[in-house]
Amino acid sequence: MSKPLLSLQNVEKQFGTFKAVDQVSIDINENEFFALLGASGSGKTTLLRMIAGFEDLTSGALLLDGDDISAVPAHRRPVNLMFQSYALFPHLTVARNIAYGLEMERLPRKEITARVDEILETIQLSHVAARKPDQLSGGQRQRVALARALVKRPRILLLDEPLGALDKKLRGEMQLELKRIQDEFKITFIVVTHDQEEALVMADRIAILKDGKLLQIGSPSEVYEHPNSRFSAEFIGVMNFLPVVRSGDGYQDRNGAAITATDRGVLGHGATLVAAVRPERMLLNPEPHLNQLTGRISALAYHGLDLQVHLETPSSPQPVMVRLTADAAEGLNLSIGDTLAVGWSAKDTRIFDA
Amino acid sequence: MDHRKSTRFMLLVLSGVFAFLYIPISVLLALSFNEGGLPTAWTGFSVKWYGALFSNQDILGAALNTLIVAVVSTLMATALGTLLAIGVEIRRRKGRFLETIIFAPMIIPDIVLAIALLSFFSMLNVTMGLHTIIFSHVVFNLAFVCAVVRARLKNFDWSIVEASTDLGASILTTLRRIVLPVLMPAIVAGALLAFTLSVDEFIIAFFTAGAGRDSITLPMQIFAMIRFGVTPEINALSTIVMSVSLVALALSQRLNRGGLPGQ
Ligand SMILES: Nc1ncnc2c1ncn2[C@@H]1O[C@H](COP(=O)(O)OP(=O)(O)OP(=O)(O)O)[C@@H](O)[C@H]1O
Ligand SMILES: [Mg+2]
Repeated sequence: MSKPLLSLQNVEKQFGTFKAVDQVSIDINENEFFALLGASGSGKTTLLRMIAGFEDLTSGALLLDGDDISAVPAHRRPVNLMFQSYALFPHLTVARNIAYGLEMERLPRKEITARVDEILETIQLSHVAARKPDQLSGGQRQRVALARALVKRPRILLLDEPLGALDKKLRGEMQLELKRIQDEFKITFIVVTHDQEEALVMADRIAILKDGKLLQIGSPSEVYEHPNSRFSAEFIGVMNFLPVVRSGDGYQDRNGAAITATDRGVLGHGATLVAAVRPERMLLNPEPHLNQLTGRISALAYHGLDLQVHLETPSSPQPVMVRLTADAAEGLNLSIGDTLAVGWSAKDTRIFDA
Repeated sequence: MDHRKSTRFMLLVLSGVFAFLYIPISVLLALSFNEGGLPTAWTGFSVKWYGALFSNQDILGAALNTLIVAVVSTLMATALGTLLAIGVEIRRRKGRFLETIIFAPMIIPDIVLAIALLSFFSMLNVTMGLHTIIFSHVVFNLAFVCAVVRARLKNFDWSIVEASTDLGASILTTLRRIVLPVLMPAIVAGALLAFTLSVDEFIIAFFTAGAGRDSITLPMQIFAMIRFGVTPEINALSTIVMSVSLVALALSQRLNRGGLPGQ
């Protein structure tokens, strides 16, 4: 792969004695749509603000195109930040808000007007160009904030929870819109989000942060299919966890049933372990060589294309979730209280430290 | 007491308070238009006392001085007070001590401030005159402007400052293009308040004016004239001073309530 556009090397941020960002190293490539995913307080905003130049690095280095930019002041960095609160200028019209960054570059009037008009077209807000921010809807404000940062054509656009304030439906639309815009402008995006679904939908790669530390980094399918820790597994998608103990070459669940995993799936080596399996990897009518468990149906939920079955089983303290396709469930006439046996293969099994 | 009675009683008290507040001012206003000029008898409406005012060189000179003092001290206090307010707000997390001492000139009795300033100027051996009055007015007006601007800063969204920096603006450009325009209604309100306070300020001006006649302000002129009794000219002059103050004050309040332009 070619040289990374942005390289975070052992980046660290300390507030007093508290480490908000702890030894994070990430390489981000040209034209990548990169998501920083983590729970509240995991250091996502802090990391973004360090890239934008609003927070000093306590230690580590920040390379853009191979040059250390950690000493470059925020207003000289070729990166732009779209603020979580949008931070639109209340006294300027939409058009003037967007033009502001270009005026700072001292571009000719004509070019500024042309570029502002063009981007207003792109975000479909030409008709509100003369309004002030307080005369816009939340969704419109969000797009103005995006346009204001985008019009500068930065090397990297940083977006802090860009869709956080929107309602669910609009958010779904804007996820695709953001991807389209990123594709059209060919700008590297780094998006902060705490919504794993959003990260999976939008990003080329995802970094999972926890307590300021980088847990895992990879494409959506990598982090979904091959989580490297219990936390990643739990944070992305739905995962069942069965407490297991080591037994010979394999493992044994609470009910005494044997559980096997491939070598690649064994990621925990401690004393207390869990076996993890995705709900959609569980099959009905298991063949004998599969890992399996039997339980009593405690809840059923239809979700259009699939049916979610909750099983109470001696193998697990919490109900196990099984996701069946509508086709597979058809004709079974499952009802609450029925007993159901499910199985899953060793390659869909992960072993983590509990 | 039943409800209607208590309402009527409260209305009565209210009228009493307003009468107490405004009758003396109304009398002054009326007398300034009294043809005969005597407070004892109304002899007809006339603006002749206003005419007399405008041919009195002493009064015109004092008015000019007051205008100079008010305008210059307002401009200086507004510039400094605004910057002070912004600076204090930025440093707020470093403790509340600054906040308290800034507002001291608002709370300290004028006479104490006047004496303090007088001693200060004598200590430095400064020749006193209009410039010392201006300086003294800046001292207390600064606190008032700062207070008004700070009130607005309480709900100022600081992320727009970072947004401006992010878009490539230096600190000075951000101050000029973002912070000052957003704060402008409060700044103008503060300036109008400062102007009003300066126009009718007497004690501090009296103490810091020095000996000459050159630096007499309007309130000082009125004070000088009143020693020979209240003349109809004084009534007219007071009415004008009051009107100027009222207009400035009303404008200031209006601006400060109106919020941001377009908000
Ligand atoms: N200026 C600061 N001083 C002290 N602590 C701070 C400061 N800024 C952030 N923190 C702390 O650093 C941690 C990470 O904060 P950060 O804002 O980066 O979290 P986040 O991942 O963006 O969370 P959220 O999803 O809630 O926005 C938090 O515990 C926060 O309290
Ligand atoms: Mg955040």
